[in-house]
Amino acid sequence: MRRPIGLSWVAAAALLASAESADAHIVASRLGDFYAGALHPLTDLQDLIPWAALGLLAGSLGAGKGRWLVLVFPLGLLAGLVLGLAFGVGSGGPVAEAGMIVTLGLLLATEMRIPTAFLGVIAFGLALMRGAANWGGVVPETNGLLFAAGLAVAGYAAITLVMGLTLAFGGADAGPPIAWRRIAIRALGSWIAAIGLMMGGFALSS
Amino acid sequence: MSARYLPLLTIAIAVLTLAEPAFAHEQAGVAGGLASGLLHPLTGIDHLIAMVAVGIWGAQLGAPAIWVLPITFPLVMAFGGVLGVMRIPLPMPEAVIALSAFVLGAAVAVRLRVPFAAAAVVVGVFAIFHGHAHGAELPSAANPLAYGVGFVVATGLLHLCGIAIGTLSRWPAGERLIQGLGAAIAALGGYFLALSLGAVA
Repeated sequence: MRRPIGLSWVAAAALLASAESADAHIVASRLGDFYAGALHPLTDLQDLIPWAALGLLAGSLGAGKGRWLVLVFPLGLLAGLVLGLAFGVGSGGPVAEAGMIVTLGLLLATEMRIPTAFLGVIAFGLALMRGAANWGGVVPETNGLLFAAGLAVAGYAAITLVMGLTLAFGGADAGPPIAWRRIAIRALGSWIAAIGLMMGGFALSS
Repeated sequence: MSARYLPLLTIAIAVLTLAEPAFAHEQAGVAGGLASGLLHPLTGIDHLIAMVAVGIWGAQLGAPAIWVLPITFPLVMAFGGVLGVMRIPLPMPEAVIALSAFVLGAAVAVRLRVPFAAAAVVVGVFAIFHGHAHGAELPSAANPLAYGVGFVVATGLLHLCGIAIGTLSRWPAGERLIQGLGAAIAALGGYFLALSLGAVA
């Protein structure tokens, strides 16, 4: 029998073209709340921008000062989440959030050598704010423990990766200084501060 | 119906049942805000040429302008952006933005050498007006934060583009090319200035 080879190709192409991703590990089952906690901040620019700014700042200050954040930041996120869950504490409002972004951006842009303790206070303050804000992702059906674990792991991973990348790119511990790389990091800081400034203005005007 | 059409019919049914809606112009949420922010400085030709001219002039002036410029410009522009967000009007914004393209293009064309402080003041004043124009659109964006990210990044990349063009000044032929580009920017700026003042229809 002669096979309709042309039709087989058309059928295969049609099926391939309309293929969808296979959801083999549906996040809504079993450990779904862990993924929900991890993904909630990573899908929100209000988390991503200050987290990235903090990682950049820590990396630009060097591993000696920045390594404390690997512990401080996730713990702060957990503390903020607990405050939100237990007492309904919010993030402090959009003006405070914008102020935090401006502060981080300006510290980066001016390349100010701040003490380790001050960096830790900033990191813990930011983590408290964002942890409390992420409380909004918890619904009555959510397993709070898994959500908190996911959030802390996301915070740990994000800060560690951005800090490590910054150190490798042009941080204080990156070997011989390459002027343009330091300037690129400072320019990024000024972009972050500019974004924060406008968000502050927007928050005040609305 | 002939049996030879059966496979074809099966394929047609399979394709129809597996079909998904096409989102060709999804301009909502973060993606929409980011896209509109990124495109705002790029689709306004007066903004675009002025930002590129800022980068080229910075490169022509050399240190410290070449590195102070990309760090301070976004911040000064953001002040203008805040004024725009808060609906605080500035005098003749369109004319001043066109004037910025004319002045910065002319500075590149004649390779104007001024003290760094003077260059910073000129660029800073223009930055406020450019920021104001972008900021005025921010409250109505699909996602204001994403819009802000988009237009700051686009502006920074335009500066970078200008600085990259400005590095051609190391070669005599490149310098002439840059000066010609500056003259073209100044001419376009002059045209937009005349348009905004109603001198041409």
